[in-house]
Amino acid sequence: MRVFRAANAAALVLLCAVMLYPFITVLAQSFSSAGAIKAGQVNVWPVGFNVDTYTAVMSNGMFWRNYGNTVLYTVVGTAIAMTLTTTYAYVLSKRHLKGRNALIGIAVFTMFFNGGIVPNYVLISSLGMKNTMWAIVLPNAISVFNLLVMKSFFENLPKDLEEAAQIDGLGWYGIFARIVLPLSKAVIATMVLFYSVQYWNDWFAAFLYLDKSELFPVTLFLRNLIAGASTSASEGAAAAGTTTALVSTNIQAVTMILTVIPILCIYPFVQRYFVSGVMLGSIKG
Amino acid sequence: MSDVFGRTPMRMSRRKVFGISIAASSALALASCSDDGGSEVDIDKQSKGAMDDFAADTQFTATEPFTLSLLWTEWPEVPVKDSWTFFDEIEKRTNVKFELTTIPFSDATEKRSLLISAGDAPTVIPLIYTGDETSFVSSGAILPISDYVEHMPNFQKYVEEWDLTDMVDNLKQADGKYYMLPGLQEVSVPVFTLVIRKDVFESVAGGIPQTWDEMRDALVKIKEEYPDSKPLADGFEAQSLLNYASHAWGARAGWGFGNGMVDDGSGNLEYTAVTEGYRQMVEFFRGLVADGLVDTDSLTAANDGSGGGSVAEKFAAETVFAASGSAGTAIEFAQALNETVGEGNYEVLQIAPPGGPAGQVVEPRNFWNGFMLNSEVADSENFLATLQFLDWLYYNPEARELIRWGVLDETYTKDADGTITLKPEYSLNAYNINPDAETDIQEDLGWSNAVFADSTESRELKESYNTDTFVAYIDSVLSTRTPRDPYPPAPLDELELERSSLLATPLKDTVDTNTLRFVMGERDIAEWDDYVAELEAQGLADYVDLMNGARDRFEENS
Repeated sequence: MRVFRAANAAALVLLCAVMLYPFITVLAQSFSSAGAIKAGQVNVWPVGFNVDTYTAVMSNGMFWRNYGNTVLYTVVGTAIAMTLTTTYAYVLSKRHLKGRNALIGIAVFTMFFNGGIVPNYVLISSLGMKNTMWAIVLPNAISVFNLLVMKSFFENLPKDLEEAAQIDGLGWYGIFARIVLPLSKAVIATMVLFYSVQYWNDWFAAFLYLDKSELFPVTLFLRNLIAGASTSASEGAAAAGTTTALVSTNIQAVTMILTVIPILCIYPFVQRYFVSGVMLGSIKG
Repeated sequence: MSDVFGRTPMRMSRRKVFGISIAASSALALASCSDDGGSEVDIDKQSKGAMDDFAADTQFTATEPFTLSLLWTEWPEVPVKDSWTFFDEIEKRTNVKFELTTIPFSDATEKRSLLISAGDAPTVIPLIYTGDETSFVSSGAILPISDYVEHMPNFQKYVEEWDLTDMVDNLKQADGKYYMLPGLQEVSVPVFTLVIRKDVFESVAGGIPQTWDEMRDALVKIKEEYPDSKPLADGFEAQSLLNYASHAWGARAGWGFGNGMVDDGSGNLEYTAVTEGYRQMVEFFRGLVADGLVDTDSLTAANDGSGGGSVAEKFAAETVFAASGSAGTAIEFAQALNETVGEGNYEVLQIAPPGGPAGQVVEPRNFWNGFMLNSEVADSENFLATLQFLDWLYYNPEARELIRWGVLDETYTKDADGTITLKPEYSLNAYNINPDAETDIQEDLGWSNAVFADSTESRELKESYNTDTFVAYIDSVLSTRTPRDPYPPAPLDELELERSSLLATPLKDTVDTNTLRFVMGERDIAEWDDYVAELEAQGLADYVDLMNGARDRFEENS
């Protein structure tokens, strides 16, 4: 048993190191000089320590503008997604609801089939949502996976509570708002985390539907910075990547660090709801 | 666990969707079939804003102002700023205002495909290299611009003057029209070639090699002097090296592989990867690798954009003395050498690609990025004015100078013999000109932007901003090399295009993989016939027939 524990601990520490190493390297790079990075000297400790790169990136107006956009899209997107997901899931959790299977079917259908990129693009532009925040926050507002987790969570709430509330004179909306939601903090916290991470990290919807750099989220800014010249499959593309000065690695590192910090900070606060949130929904009585 | 599990479905679908987007874009280009381009155009009635007396080498100014939508690729290091005078000055001179659709450089080609496929593309689509337009032709989303070049006097003048008529003919698609106009280059110099340590080559190897055999001897001598070195490298997954080297054996490889077809000498096409020349080229590089003269790590390292495999580092550490690169790469190598060998103790030089059995030939590179037009422009009342404006912007020497250097006597001066000097208060950091000045004409003012500036260049303009060593490189290429003949064109129609891509893609994969395996010594060269048989099993004969059929049809029609 002791041997097993020791081996287990060793394996976990190793795994932890493997996970942390890239983070630490990027962090070290962000404080290092461009020359030292190019010479391959930076590993886990900054070489040529400086904060100039941070100053430079932070003084970039477009970076902050895009950062602000990301915050806005995340907050609005998560709020919309949570409203729609909780209400939809609550309705689906009522077994006596007529047409419940059809409603579930509609949701599940979208897990397996979608219209494809170009039709979706045409749809969004004909709805007039192109180059607006709505193109980012509306199309994927309900994640079916989250919806189903939440649905089974609601199904497991004791019916007696709702019946008692009904007897005391509450309507369905009242029950939902005053009884069900306060009892669902764990799952709500988990879903908020899922959704906000999704919106925070998302660059693809913005890439598709936004044509103005002042509307871009910071992830798109970051992607342009990092993925820039990695696709030189032809002489033309390679030349395009080399004729202009390349973005140096320390700028990429700083942008990465600044982008990932806020979403990283959310984790500790919702962690305690985390396992219980998902597990509660999945065990059926 | 729950975290990973919880997010997997979303992440997967996003990646899948992205993959599909690239594949789907060309196929779905059909979706936007608003094909009425050309048939009902009455150019005289669509001449709002156009000049009556527009001619080559004259200033274009629209008689009535109009707005033109433009696809703008944003490079991360050169974002459009409020301080840019570029757009204002263009508007002041021409009465044309640009309206930008901004796409990030990282995924520019995908977004461009999407916009064109969805019928949502802006009027002007710049940064098109020859061949980029092919997949959009059948959709009707792109204007067959060859129908209207008569209204573009600058284009015609410089095609004539720089002797590019045959090459322009080669742009034709299966319907006999062409759909993009390239940027024209007066002089044809390969952008990518060998960058060498000139001082080492001269002191150790006795000069700059002119042929690949001389290059081999030189590399052997350098290896003797620096036993730890592997003197030749390519940081572009061997694609660049094979590209400029292949012409010396009359083959095509690497970036320049294209459809893989070369002239077989009798006017027909043959598949280059099974020719004797290609085999000799492979054997030559195989020999270099076997003798330890090639830094093989660099050939297989992923290219991070600046040339992977840390070639600059190896250049600085004096384990590599010749590597593929552009003028920009040469500057990077020099910067790296400054740190180790020290400034003044070395010389870095771009040399003309060495010759070989096929002669002292180089790739003709008179075309660089140009533009396509959304076919909807043919319905615009400003159609003629748009053509005139783009003709001026892309081909008028004064416009080219403006785009490169800014406003005469404001950002730069020009003396009597035409020498251009940037004013001391301005810099052009991308080319290391006045690096200490406060205002950068590219980053702060928008001149020399990569969307327009590189496209069309006279020799004079090209030499005006490049370093002396690059000018020397231009001279050496022009005086000692001849451009190889253009490949015979074989434009495919829509069905053929589909069939050819089904056939050509697996063929090229086999060629790429095995070329590298033969070169690296991972496959015995005695198995060459087996390799040819593998290609034949993948439908090589069908593919060659298909291309020759298209070739014959093109011949008959022209």
